[in-house]
Amino acid sequence: MVLPPVGVVAAFIGFPVVAAIAYTLGKTGGPNSMVASLAQHQHVAKHGVTLAAYREMLGDHQVLGDLWATVWVTVVAVLIVLAMSWTIALYLRLRGGKIAALLSGLSVVPLFIPVVIASYALVTFYSVDGFVRTVAYNLGYHSFPTVGYTLTAVVIGEVWVNVPFGVLMLSSGLNGVPDSLIEASRDAGASLSRTVRSVLFPLNVIPTVIVATFTAIYVLGSFTVPYLVGPSAPNLLGVSMSNYFSSFNQPQQSEVLAVIVFVLAAGIGAVYVWANVRASRRAGQVA
Amino acid sequence: MTAAGLNIESVSKDLGGRTIVDSLELEVEAGELTCLLGPSGCGKTTTLRMIGGFLHPDAGRVLIDGQDVTGLAPERRPTAMVFQSYALWPHMTVFKNVAFGLRLRKLPRSEVTERVERILELVGLTHHLHSYPARISGGEQQRVALARALVLEPKVLLLDEPLSNLDAKLRVRVREDIREIQQRIGITTVFVTHDQDEALSISDRIAVMSGGRVEQYAAARELYREPATTFVAGFVGAMNVYTGTTTGEGIELADGTRIPCAELTATGGEFTFGVRPEDVQVTADGRGADATVVREVPRGHYKELVLAAGENELRAFVGSDMRLPERVRVSFGRVLCYREGVLQHATPAAVE
Amino acid sequence: MSAVEQGALHAAAPAARPKTARRVPLVARALETLLVICLFLFMLGPLIWLAVRAFAAVWFFPRMLPNSWSLEWWRTVFDSPQFMHSVRLSFEFAPTVTIISAAICIPAAYAFSRYRFPGRRTLLISLFATNAFPKFGLYVSMAGFFYSLNLMGKFLGVVIVQLIGTIVFMTWIPTAAFSAVPRSLEDAARDVGAGPLRVFFRVTFPLAAPGILVAIILSFLAAFDEAQGTFLVGVPNYITMPTQMYTLVIDYPQQVAAVFSILLAIPSVVLMGFARKHVMGGRLAEGFQIR
Repeated sequence: MVLPPVGVVAAFIGFPVVAAIAYTLGKTGGPNSMVASLAQHQHVAKHGVTLAAYREMLGDHQVLGDLWATVWVTVVAVLIVLAMSWTIALYLRLRGGKIAALLSGLSVVPLFIPVVIASYALVTFYSVDGFVRTVAYNLGYHSFPTVGYTLTAVVIGEVWVNVPFGVLMLSSGLNGVPDSLIEASRDAGASLSRTVRSVLFPLNVIPTVIVATFTAIYVLGSFTVPYLVGPSAPNLLGVSMSNYFSSFNQPQQSEVLAVIVFVLAAGIGAVYVWANVRASRRAGQVA
Repeated sequence: MTAAGLNIESVSKDLGGRTIVDSLELEVEAGELTCLLGPSGCGKTTTLRMIGGFLHPDAGRVLIDGQDVTGLAPERRPTAMVFQSYALWPHMTVFKNVAFGLRLRKLPRSEVTERVERILELVGLTHHLHSYPARISGGEQQRVALARALVLEPKVLLLDEPLSNLDAKLRVRVREDIREIQQRIGITTVFVTHDQDEALSISDRIAVMSGGRVEQYAAARELYREPATTFVAGFVGAMNVYTGTTTGEGIELADGTRIPCAELTATGGEFTFGVRPEDVQVTADGRGADATVVREVPRGHYKELVLAAGENELRAFVGSDMRLPERVRVSFGRVLCYREGVLQHATPAAVE
Repeated sequence: MSAVEQGALHAAAPAARPKTARRVPLVARALETLLVICLFLFMLGPLIWLAVRAFAAVWFFPRMLPNSWSLEWWRTVFDSPQFMHSVRLSFEFAPTVTIISAAICIPAAYAFSRYRFPGRRTLLISLFATNAFPKFGLYVSMAGFFYSLNLMGKFLGVVIVQLIGTIVFMTWIPTAAFSAVPRSLEDAARDVGAGPLRVFFRVTFPLAAPGILVAIILSFLAAFDEAQGTFLVGVPNYITMPTQMYTLVIDYPQQVAAVFSILLAIPSVVLMGFARKHVMGGRLAEGFQIR
């Protein structure tokens, strides 16, 4: 019964992924032959595998610049998402009331909007004639910097898209902490911030890890947001991949970038799995 | 630790549109173990939470040791609460749970360790110093919660239905432990329960609550012998309740049945009468109204009889050896007379 | 704490709980309002800004509102056969993909939920992990694959591409939904004589239905909003609405893109509004733990 979806995934994801990896290592035969026949500037393996494609890409300093941009945008986006999600989720948990309901509604708006639309809306909002600059201009700042088409805009965009998941996940985790644990802490004399530090946060490490890893994986491989919102250089790897394929007609190099992103994402995914396993093992110790 | 008195002055609280606590007055003496007793919804837990600072009264004041604490947050009040669910932090060991409050006060490590170990010895849990709450039993968790509250040397100790999560046998043991510790330390304590056995057995005084007010605040004996209102009469211990009038020789019930009561010599008054089962005197053929024995329920060292006199049901406690025919005579020994819910007089009057 | 108060704990949307009603200091109130305003601007600002543009005839910087209003751009979009065609295509693909996805994934979800077989966890995780490989890299490789299978530019090719994005939703969420149906209810049905199929359709499925509905909605939206793969595989024959957006943004005036955006966003808003109650239920964190 499990076979159909697994089969589909294996056939249409697993197989192409394996073929792609093989392709990056120089195997241009078999399933890769079609793509290889159209490609420029390939590294073909005479026998066995060759790392020439990887050497080329990792030696190209524009690619390295893209890699660095991708990594730091990811890190910054994850940190901001965590900060915003924790703030909003804590407010929801500890205050309640109308303002909290408003905040919770606002923070899940991005779930309702397709990423394409969101990216477009964000870039017009922060562009040369967007809201931010218009308000600044009307307040007297005639040369307010344009955030659109910069890496900062990409960070803003990625944060915008990923906050809902963060808020939902952390809210859910925080709601799992009974009121009495918080009251007991205050009863013992702890201020609210101390209670957050000593009780709420330690009990919600797993949801935090989940938010961080999911967001990181999403941003690492993301295409639409950086494509519509980001600069023409440096690019996030998702966009570079597309350029190497469509503009330069170098699918092999494109795939190399894909594999690099995959390795990074897989590493982060491993953190998620490890955290989950550790949590279920400790479930005996920690109620 | 010098004991502190607790004063609750005209405290009221509305929740969800309903008045839960209604101008409540309570004066707990220093070092006293007071119980708030009542059915669900009577406002006892709400009152406790207002003492602890987890709810803010809509009106009235809370004073501890003469000082108005009404405006203070829980972290600033000299109270400590033992929660119904114990509320032990699952990610901290027993030691860390108890030490938490002390660490907040920035005490030196050696003093923290010494005080935690001392209090855990007091409650008998030294062997679990470094265990996690999930690994210890319910009774032990409760003692950790108690230790955590006591280690801070609060002026008032608050307990929210501390025994409700324990099984019956354990409840009796633990409540006596609590009483013993409380007396040894001499700390003013308020605890909330709906179980009258619990309340009657360990409290100095009990505040019986209903509808957000204190119906009567007295020691167990007085509550039992002279319940101030029909509610208290019916809530504490078993009670036969009837409406009727006094006849000079006893009572005439609504359906006309006359039951003699030697001590009740008043006439012409309409009352609600309360008679404890042990004050229902049953004889084979002595003085009294006619009644039939409907059922006999053996209860160990005494027997409960369910009797019918006229259209009325009476419950009586008699000795377990007593042999009675089906038709008997009943009279009343001690009767409590209530008008509009309030005790007018009891016969014989006064508590020794 | 009363049962009512405890029930209120398990909702992401906060219910009225009896908080210590201290007089909140003015500074805190001001900060709170600031927080709300900032979040409002951050989240909704861009959307409103875009939406306004859809109704603008002319709008020059640095005006806060358009110079003049008009519905002409809406007419432009509705009159364009190309745009309307992409709208229709989106509504052809998404339901098709969702139905196929449901058909193949829901039985699997049931198996994942009810049977403990070796490799179960690994399979579940790997279904999820396949999302870690960047979509674009995947599509490039798939392109070659599709060429040889003669699926490029074909209806089936686009269906498959969109299908892949829905598989995670259609397996993980229904698995959690089925797992939430107590076995004892199924046993009781078997006990009174119902066969396995009937038990499934009369007991298990109806109870898991809300979760499955959420999965269907999320899958539909995933298929509907899928752009990159469709772009690669569907061009030039099948251009769906999201794919159209990429070219719109570059080749047409902003107002057209704005109108199109609103159109594209409508199904999302409607469907997510419908599913909101379930998605925002407090049990989300548990759904992401691997059991």
